[in-house]
This record gives sequence, structure tokens and C-alpha cells, in this order.
Amino acid sequence: MNYPVDLKYSKSHEWVRYEDGVAVIGISDYAQDALGDVVFVNLPAVGDEVTAGESFGDVESVKAVSDLISPVSGVVLEVNEELEDSPENLNGDPYGAWIIKVEQVTDEEELLDAAAYEAHCAEEG
Amino acid sequence: MSELKRTPLYAVHVAAGATMVDFGGWEMPIQYPAGIVAEHLYDRKHCGIFDVSHMGRLVVEGPQRVEFLQKVLSSNVAALVPGRAQYCIIPTETGGAVDDAYLYMFEEDRYLLIVNASNTDKDLAHFARYLPDYDCTVTNITDTYSSIAVQGPEAEAILRVLSGGAEITGPRKNDLNELVMEGHTVRVSRTGYTGDPIGFELFIEADQVVWLWNRLVELGAAPTGLGARDTLRLEAGLPLYGHEMGQDRSGVEMPIFAVSLARFAVSFKEEKGDFVARDLLLAQKEQGTPKKVIPVALADRGVMRAGMDIYKDGVHVGWVTSGTMVPYYKFDEAGNILDATGKRSIGFAYVDSTVTMEDVLEIDVRGKRLKARPVAKHMDQTQPPYGRAVL
Repeated sequence: MNYPVDLKYSKSHEWVRYEDGVAVIGISDYAQDALGDVVFVNLPAVGDEVTAGESFGDVESVKAVSDLISPVSGVVLEVNEELEDSPENLNGDPYGAWIIKVEQVTDEEELLDAAAYEAHCAEEG
Repeated sequence: MSELKRTPLYAVHVAAGATMVDFGGWEMPIQYPAGIVAEHLYDRKHCGIFDVSHMGRLVVEGPQRVEFLQKVLSSNVAALVPGRAQYCIIPTETGGAVDDAYLYMFEEDRYLLIVNASNTDKDLAHFARYLPDYDCTVTNITDTYSSIAVQGPEAEAILRVLSGGAEITGPRKNDLNELVMEGHTVRVSRTGYTGDPIGFELFIEADQVVWLWNRLVELGAAPTGLGARDTLRLEAGLPLYGHEMGQDRSGVEMPIFAVSLARFAVSFKEEKGDFVARDLLLAQKEQGTPKKVIPVALADRGVMRAGMDIYKDGVHVGWVTSGTMVPYYKFDEAGNILDATGKRSIGFAYVDSTVTMEDVLEIDVRGKRLKARPVAKHMDQTQPPYGRAVL
């Protein structure tokens, strides 16, 4: 399992990376592995407001659906439309396949660094 | 919680990196590292193998075995001849299903009945109510006799290596045979739960099943878990007890004839005589059922899941009983299979019988109404060796 050190992680398994004040958000390697084959991603629209700790969309694997929880509050600047046709990118490249970019960030969930997140995943088993 | 049961292949699954889950009291592989999508596709193009040793295997023998089975099963057991198998349903007294099952006649003087793993104990208790009236016995041999399903276009070629070139079974679905494969006695049926035009189920003594599994893998078959087993059967339009059969989501018994497959599983022939719920089932057949199970395909983007409500013109008409996104291979215009794949969102719905093929349905997918349409079938099984997606 891969936990890049340049990212912050939520306990609900999303990652965040800041680029010039914009929060780039995806799901972790642990999350994609637990989900199994991702077959559909329900994305928000550009301009939607997202709230830290609340759902901004969902990912469907063959087995089940899981909410995507926003690690930050703000406004959706961009969504990764490639995921509409190639949701499996979340499995193949979870840290390259970002899901949304959020601007005007006003709030942030309690986020973990890579080491703390890895420990959190180990606890979940 | 009681301890989970394990098949003789448990350690083989774990060693292969399978994700193990509780399935009806059994610790079974839901998927291997390849994943459900890859396993599904490999089965459709090559060959998938499935550990089905958890399913209940019951031997019915004794002088009145035929009379007993005619009473408790829906099919005409007397029509079965040695070397053949038949699909059947175990009816409740009220016209629903205790379980669905497959009856195999490998030998003249006994039957093998295979039932759903999670229903085995319930089925045995149900049979016990009728057995005192018949001079025969039902013996559970699940633990001593194991089973592997070998499905897909390359299944027959792989098995022919093991049989030394000998014919595996006759050409018809439900044909049976007994073979010696590299010194091991193996019983084979031309049956399966994937809808693949070519597929077999193998039976072997429990202490030899690991050998068989490993040989099949060596010959190019891919271990396939319960996840892909479910997507394959869904694509093939095969009902699953607990979803399309049994009790509905409110705990109300679903009539057997709500499932179209019942037409092939229930016999009213004079030869069969009276059986459990015969008159109720005849009425279901002749008058129809209030609701029916139909295959549906999602037209909008998204995924339907079991339990989601379905509307027609804003009126609630039923709900989804099974649903997910399944992968498929594309074919060229000449009918050749390609490497290109697609995905589609399909399922089964339990809806008012007034719903027709022309209707547009709306499925409530977590608050969003997505359009869906009834379809005749999800897959064409008539052009071997491949099952072809009907889009």
C-alpha cells in the first residue's frame, strides 16, 4: 500500500494536496483497494459548494456504493471528467486520478500526515 | 455468531490472495487479486473456475425416492433418465420457494440434489416434514464430496486435457458423465450459473478437490470469486434465491411464477401427480402473478442496487432485486470477439405485472430518478463459444 508523504489524508480515506491555494482531492490507495473495481463515479458540478466532513459525490464499485467525503469546505473549481469514462483510473492510479479541485477553501477537516494515516489504516485492518 | 465453515479449498484461496467473506455461513472468496471485473471478463473469453463446494449436496435414495422427489420438487422427476440433470424449485405449501435446486441422475438408484449453501439446513428441515411418508432417505454429503464449476469458451478444451482427449459429456445442456481424469474419478455435468454457452460442473471426493483445482489453474483456468459469479449470473439473467426468489424486501413470499424461469422448472404433467402447492402454482401459471421479475437496463448513467424503488409515470411499481455495473466484451461486425470492453448498468426488477416492455421506468438512485427500460435479456447465449452482451 502506497502513502505519499506530500499528501494529507482524512480518516474517511480521501487525500488532499494544495496547489496555489486550491485543494486537489482524491481517494487513497487503501480506499481503492477496499472498494475493489470502481465502475462509476458520481461527480459534483463546477461551482457546487462542498462542506468539510460531508458527501460531495459517490463512487460505485461492483460490490457497493461509497460516499466521497470532502476534506475541505469551498467551491468546486474543476472536476476530473476523465473519470466519467474511465472510473477505473481510481484503481490504477489513485494519487494521479484526482476527483475534484476546490477553491475558496474556508474550512478543513482534521487531516493526517502519511505516517498517521498509515497507522489509521492499519487499525482498520 | 457460530464459526464459519470452510471448503477443502480454503487454504488454496487464501494462498492465492483471495479476499474471504462470510457467505451464508461459509468463509468464501469474493474475489482474487485480479478483481471482479477482470475475473468476469476472463470467464467470458477464456475460462473461469469457481469453488462451489459450499453448496449443499444431498443424496436421495431408497425405494420411494422418485415418489418423494415428485412430492417436494416442482419438476417431473420421472422424466429424468440416468446421465441427465434438471433444474427445479422446492415449493412452499403456499406457492413460494423454499429454495431452487438442481437434480442430477448420475446413477439409476439414487439422485444428487444440489441446493443453495445458506438454505441447506432449511431444506433438510423442510424435507423432514415429508420424509416419514416415504421409504427413502436424504443424506447430506456436502463435507465429503466437493464441487468446482468450470465455465467459459475454453472450458471444454481444458477438461479434455485432463480426460486424455475423451469426450467430457454429451453435447446437450444437462448431460452428465463420469470420467477418470489423470487417475481421479470425476463426475461432470454440462451445467452452470454463468450463462456461458460452454460450461461444466465437476464433482470429486473432497480429499482430491485441491488436486483438481490446481490442475485447472495450471491449464489456464482462472480462479473466480463470488463477486464475479454474481455479475456473471446477473448478465445471464439467472435468478438468485434471496433476491429474485424466496421472500421479497418486505418479507412477503414471492410466488414461484413471478420468475419466468419457473415455466421450465414446474411440471403439471399427469405423470408427476400431486405435489406441494400444485394447485396454487397452476393458478399462478394460468392467472399470472401480481408482480413479476424482469431484467432491466439503466439508460441513464449510474448504478442500480437491490432495494431501490421503481416508478412508472410517477407511480410506484416495484423495486430492484439485484443490480450492479457489469463489464462486457465487444464484438466486430463479423461476430469476432475483440479486446475492447465496455460496462453497463443492469439488474433485475420486481414490478407490477402491468409493466410492459415498452414502458420507461424510473429508478430512485439515492434521491435521483434515473431512467431504465425492461429488456428481454442481457446476453445472447445462442452463438457459442461466447456469451454476447445484448445492449
